[in-house]
Amino acid sequence: MALNVDLYDAILNGNAKKAHAATEAAIAAGVEPMALIQESMVPAMDEVGRLFECEEYFVPELLLAGRAMKGAMELLKPLLTAAGQKMAVRVVIGTVKGDLHDIGKNIVASMLEGSGFEVIDLGTDVSPENFVAAVEQRKPHVVCMSALLTVTMPAMKLTIDALQTAGLRTQVKVLIGGAPVTHQYAKEIGADGYSENANGAVGLVKNLLAGEAA
Amino acid sequence: MTCDLVRIRLEPLSVELKLPLGSSLIAALAAHGVEFPCGGMGECSGCQVRVLSGSLLVTEADSATLTPDQLAKGWRLACQARAHESLVLECGQWRMQILADDNPSDPIPKVGALATMVAPSIPAVISRERAGDQSASSSRGLAVAIDLGTTTIAAQLIDASGNVLAVETALNPQAAFGSDVMSRIRAALEGQDLTTPIRVALGQIVARLARGRASQVAEVLLVGNTVMHHLFGSLDVEPLAHVPFQSPNLAEQRFTPRDLGWDLPSDCVVRFARCIGGFIGSDILAGIVAAGIALGDDLTALVDLGTNGEIAIGNRHGIVCASTAAGPAFEAGSIRMGMRAVTGAIAYVALVDGTLRPTVLGDGAPRGICGSGLVDAVAAGLRSGSILANGRIADGSKNFPIALPVVLYQSDIRELQLAKGAIAAGFRLLLKRLGAQVSSLHAIHLAGAFGNYVQIESALRIGLLEAPHSVIHAAGNTALRGAKMLLLAREEPQLPPIEHVSLAADPAFQDEFAACMTFPENL
Repeated sequence: MALNVDLYDAILNGNAKKAHAATEAAIAAGVEPMALIQESMVPAMDEVGRLFECEEYFVPELLLAGRAMKGAMELLKPLLTAAGQKMAVRVVIGTVKGDLHDIGKNIVASMLEGSGFEVIDLGTDVSPENFVAAVEQRKPHVVCMSALLTVTMPAMKLTIDALQTAGLRTQVKVLIGGAPVTHQYAKEIGADGYSENANGAVGLVKNLLAGEAA
Repeated sequence: MTCDLVRIRLEPLSVELKLPLGSSLIAALAAHGVEFPCGGMGECSGCQVRVLSGSLLVTEADSATLTPDQLAKGWRLACQARAHESLVLECGQWRMQILADDNPSDPIPKVGALATMVAPSIPAVISRERAGDQSASSSRGLAVAIDLGTTTIAAQLIDASGNVLAVETALNPQAAFGSDVMSRIRAALEGQDLTTPIRVALGQIVARLARGRASQVAEVLLVGNTVMHHLFGSLDVEPLAHVPFQSPNLAEQRFTPRDLGWDLPSDCVVRFARCIGGFIGSDILAGIVAAGIALGDDLTALVDLGTNGEIAIGNRHGIVCASTAAGPAFEAGSIRMGMRAVTGAIAYVALVDGTLRPTVLGDGAPRGICGSGLVDAVAAGLRSGSILANGRIADGSKNFPIALPVVLYQSDIRELQLAKGAIAAGFRLLLKRLGAQVSSLHAIHLAGAFGNYVQIESALRIGLLEAPHSVIHAAGNTALRGAKMLLLAREEPQLPPIEHVSLAADPAFQDEFAACMTFPENL
């Protein structure tokens, strides 16, 4: 286990410049990209999640840490692809049709990415058809949906129904989140899980997939 | 045929109701002013009641929302309850409301207060209009101005000189369908009738205002946000339920008293003023008139600090405006020990020689904290170093004592960060859209109750507002004042183009929002 302290600290402190520099230096020194992700980035984002959980960090710190992590990841992605390496778990994420809110969704996406998952972000105002197409083409293990408005919540159910109709529902775990969403609502519409924050979402994905493997 | 009835008594106001056996409590409680913040979906616990006599089954939503301790004490969600026997219930919301009589900070100005507020600050345009209007206006008789808010209604009967003859205030009866505009839209889309209750309620308000002189009422003008406009006019709210949140029906709506079932002369004209765009309606349009934004070359801003924070900035050449979801923190809605500005609420907090000095309304023991107290307390904490610029309570404890038993929790400060971040980010982006700097702002008018009571010094310290103290003014109910000015104006005032900016669609919003969520260092 070789922790790259510079990269770890840069992500924790939300310093995108230093994270970029530390990653470049590590690549130049011949560190394996996957090792850098697993041994430095994932622990850093774990710590960010822990600090959020104990109320030490808040939304701005999450966004900054996420951005630092993403910058480093962008440097590593082409190397992973070139080496034919893939993340073990793939997640498709998006804000549902009719809704443009993306801050919460972006934080969840970066926390998931920082936990070593491959994240395909479909953006905002994503129609059920586009979720279905992404599941067909990208074959993710998990689909995450976000809605910030009570009036756009029904689009989550429509998306689950569309996955069902397309015969894809059993191939993916569906997680939902967003301010007006509740555990109760997740149960009602047949989602596999709900989390009230980004850190919880990471744990949820891990648990769901562990449950499946067991 | 008789139907079996059960008796429900609601404490502490001792309201007696009779309901058919087995029926839901929602409609009956709503008729007595109980609010259902999530629209009766069992998703929040805002409508909770405690069983004092009789029993209510514990529903699934009760178990999901309330703690075992609360359930054991008899608390239930009123929206989920059915009356299978006679009951005595304590209404959680009324524990505060009953003390509201001596409320020194009523959200809706009383006659006197409003009259003094209107008189000195009416901008030149209306004085000019009125001066030239004397002869013509005398024949026009009386008019009614109505500010139809999502939560509250304020209405005034005025004569042709703008004198206020009567005032009525009430809760919006649509509160039974949820406390925010989105829950109202959802209810309407689910087929509920939200039009009849508001038309009936306003008809009664108008009747009370004009008692004995209804025949003299020539005109009624309503202002309100786009959702209020649509629901009152029975227009389809479906376009407001999804991006881009633009309805094709933004124009002024005209009605005859007969259309509405109101007891007014048949030639009386009832108008709901035009919307600006998105959710921004004629309440802001009226506010723009009241604040005189369109009068000069100087940049002037109007900021309405409510659950939906609305901001308009401009001058006579053009105005930009936006709404931003600030959430209920300014009304202390999402604050653990938050309460309305009534007896027992900490309304102000000063820092004297490093010690917090709270002011409690009614001078009794503190029970909670209201919006202005919250902003003061956090500002004081920042000054004393007890709260850090990133929002953390400095000593690592999870609460910041104000005046025991009242404390601020770490999560309360986070709620305030979200709310003030949304407003400040919206303001910055609108200024950027105009290509203007803070230094070129001539005035910032703060509309609404919170804007009236918040200490500007503290609002600046927490970064809710970013401008010199000298340009910021509390402006009261600018929607109602503007509606009266529109009624008194002989002709529709000439307004420059008003551009509605969708903040959610602006890619810069997220960065600006995050930046504005932290508190300024050492102001």
